[in-house]
Amino acid sequence: MERETVLEMKNIVKEYEGSEARAVDNVNFSMKKGEIVAIIGPSGSGKSTLLRCINGLNKVTSGEIKLKGDTGMVFQHFNLFPHMTCMENITYAPVKVKKKDRKAAEEKAMELLDLVGLANKKDMYPAQISGGQKQRIAIARALAMEPEIMLFDEATSALDPEITGEVLNVMKKLARAHTTMIVVTHEMGFAREVADRVLFMDHGVIVEEGTPEEIFDNPKSERLKAFLGAMLRA
Amino acid sequence: MLEGSVMTVKLFVITLVLSLPLGLPFALGSNSRILPVKALCRAYVWIFRGTPLLLQLFFFYFFFPLVLGLQISGFAAAVLTYVLNYAAYFAEIYRGGINSIDKGQYEAAHALGLSRRQTMLDIIMPQTMKAILPPVVNEAITLVKDTALASTLPIVELMKATNSAVNGTTSMIPFFCAAAIYLIMTFVLTVLAGRLEKYFKRYDAKEEW
Repeated sequence: MERETVLEMKNIVKEYEGSEARAVDNVNFSMKKGEIVAIIGPSGSGKSTLLRCINGLNKVTSGEIKLKGDTGMVFQHFNLFPHMTCMENITYAPVKVKKKDRKAAEEKAMELLDLVGLANKKDMYPAQISGGQKQRIAIARALAMEPEIMLFDEATSALDPEITGEVLNVMKKLARAHTTMIVVTHEMGFAREVADRVLFMDHGVIVEEGTPEEIFDNPKSERLKAFLGAMLRA
Repeated sequence: MLEGSVMTVKLFVITLVLSLPLGLPFALGSNSRILPVKALCRAYVWIFRGTPLLLQLFFFYFFFPLVLGLQISGFAAAVLTYVLNYAAYFAEIYRGGINSIDKGQYEAAHALGLSRRQTMLDIIMPQTMKAILPPVVNEAITLVKDTALASTLPIVELMKATNSAVNGTTSMIPFFCAAAIYLIMTFVLTVLAGRLEKYFKRYDAKEEW
């Protein structure tokens, strides 16, 4: 069965003012419903920039993006609303943007809180919970809008190594539920285990693309080999 | 002096109630992407912060009869001047507060599909409140004392009443009374501000992580 295409990006170019090099240089990319794509690459390779072009946080300089449905985004620094409780963080957008009934939104939020394992924190403010917990709430907040695609922008990079696991576990749960996901990450283990397809970006271009086996076990380009070598040594 | 005190409180309250909200459009305008709006708001702030309040008081008191041929009471001229002047100060405080909010908050709001209006009203402003409270209270305290400048217009507020009392009795006591009354007013403000601060702190960390 041919799955429907939910995202198509054609000839995407992103230039920043005052910068010579293109942050994203003529990228073509598409994905199907239920697919899980990991984007890896060194810092400054343009992977976050590309991700942020998808939901309009970055305006593309040129190119075409066709998107079916909404996206939800999980940020490196969580970006929870500090003046709202966890419950309010999750229900605000469904109620105010989607005009969902408050009670229905709260019921849905409780389901999501259960999913991320934080039902007991619903009345806490973000400042009262740990970093890993914040990120799990942020995931629930994004999911509450029932997006077609979930975008993860280095969701575990700001966390201490010992607590990245709790966030990655939630992301694995979503993967098992066939959530369409694009994950920009430095977690090679996660990319290998969970992704259907891995993109390796460097200097704004997709240098190599393939299944996790192809990328991690049989890297072709010198740049990918060097990158993986550096990641292993780290 | 009682009547004078009442007049001072009246000036203060009316000015605060009108200038606090009036500062907001100027703050937002100063950040506007529409260039003429931005220029206008910045110019407004520049003029009202950059010239003496006393000059502004005289300007508006004489502007209406001399330029427009309209009679204006000293009280109306004073309220108008104070409101316009303080709105400029509040605008700058608000602008600083708004600019202090992390850009991640705007990004999260955008990613969730919030409109610009919802973002400002429900996400940015409530967070700004806590940051701007101390400087706003500071301005409010300054305003209590600035009302004394209105004594240069035909209004009998606390300062002018005090002066007449001193002239009438050749006693220093009215000055002490006036000082006490001003201090009570600023003290009440400080107490109210403390309560507000507590209220806005409610979402701060209760435990350290």
